[in-house]
Amino acid sequence: MDKLAKQLRADAERIEINVSDELDQRIAASLRGVSPRTEPGLETPALIRPRPASFWWASSLTGIAAAAVVIAIVNSQSQQAEPAGGAATTSPVTIAATVPVIDWKTESAMLTSPLRQELENLQSDMKKAEQKVKEDIGL
Amino acid sequence: MTNELQLISAAKAGSADAFADLVLSYRDRLLRFLLTRCASYADAEDALQDTLINAYRYLHSYDPRWRFSTWLYRIAIRNAQKIRSQNVVELGDLSDEESDPLQQCIAASETENLWICARRLLNDDVFAAMWLRYAEDMSVNDISKALDRSASWTKVNLLRGRRALEAELNSSANESKAYG
Repeated sequence: MDKLAKQLRADAERIEINVSDELDQRIAASLRGVSPRTEPGLETPALIRPRPASFWWASSLTGIAAAAVVIAIVNSQSQQAEPAGGAATTSPVTIAATVPVIDWKTESAMLTSPLRQELENLQSDMKKAEQKVKEDIGL
Repeated sequence: MTNELQLISAAKAGSADAFADLVLSYRDRLLRFLLTRCASYADAEDALQDTLINAYRYLHSYDPRWRFSTWLYRIAIRNAQKIRSQNVVELGDLSDEESDPLQQCIAASETENLWICARRLLNDDVFAAMWLRYAEDMSVNDISKALDRSASWTKVNLLRGRRALEAELNSSANESKAYG
C-alpha cells in the first residue's frame, strides 16, 4: 500500500461515526415491522403443480359448449337481421346541407402587370387606404 | 464467511435477529459512507434505515456470488440517491463547512483530513469509488458492481482521483516550502 492509500485509509478511520442508540432502536423497530419477501420460485408452487386429467377434460368440454352457443346466437341474429330483398340499402347524406354557407365579400383581382408590379400596386393601395382611414377617424 | 451465510439463510427464513447480527458490523461503516453521499446527518441516518430495511425485505434477491458488503453498499448508494433527489440538493452545493455533514464530523475530530480535499476536488461518483477503494478496501470489481459502472470506468476514475489528490498534495507541499 502506497503513501496516499495509507493516508486515505487512516483519514477515513479518523472519522468516528457510530450509530446512535436512538437510530438503533428506530432500525430495530422498523425491522420488526418488515418480513422478508419469499423467492418468486417458492411463492407460486400452486401454479406449476400438475393438473388432474379430469380438469383438462372439463375445461375442453366447457370451451366447446361455449363456442357452440356463440355460433348458434350469431346464426339466429343474422337470419333475423337479413331483409327479404337481400342487400341492405343506405340513405344518402347531403353534405352540402350540413356545411354553413359563408357570404364572402370578395373581388377578383385583375392582374394586368407582372406579379411584382401588382404586389407593389396593392401595397400602395393598402397604404393609401390606411391613411384615409386615419384621416377619417382624426388621428 | 460461513457464519455470514448461515445468518443470511436464517434471515431469509424470517429471523430479524439473525439479520441484525448480520449487519451489525456494517452499520457504522455504512453510516460513515452515507454521510459522504447525503446532504445532512439526518438524511444519512434515514438512508441507513432504508438500506437495512430494503436489504432485509429483498434478501431473497441476494446473489451469494457477490460479497454481502458490496450488495449492501449498492442498496445504500441507491437509497442515498433517492433521498437526494427528493431533497433536490447537490453535494457540490455543500461547499461550506456548516452544511456538509462529513465536514462537520471531521471537524469534530480532526482539523485536516484528505477526504475533505477529495470532496472538493472529485465529483460524487469518483469520490465514492475512491472511498470504497481506500476506506472500505473493496476490489475494483466490487466497486464497479456497487456503483453500477464498468470495471474500466472504475479503474480510470480511481487513477484520475489519485492523480488529482496527489497534485493537490504536491502543490500544498510546495506552498508550505515557499512560505518556509
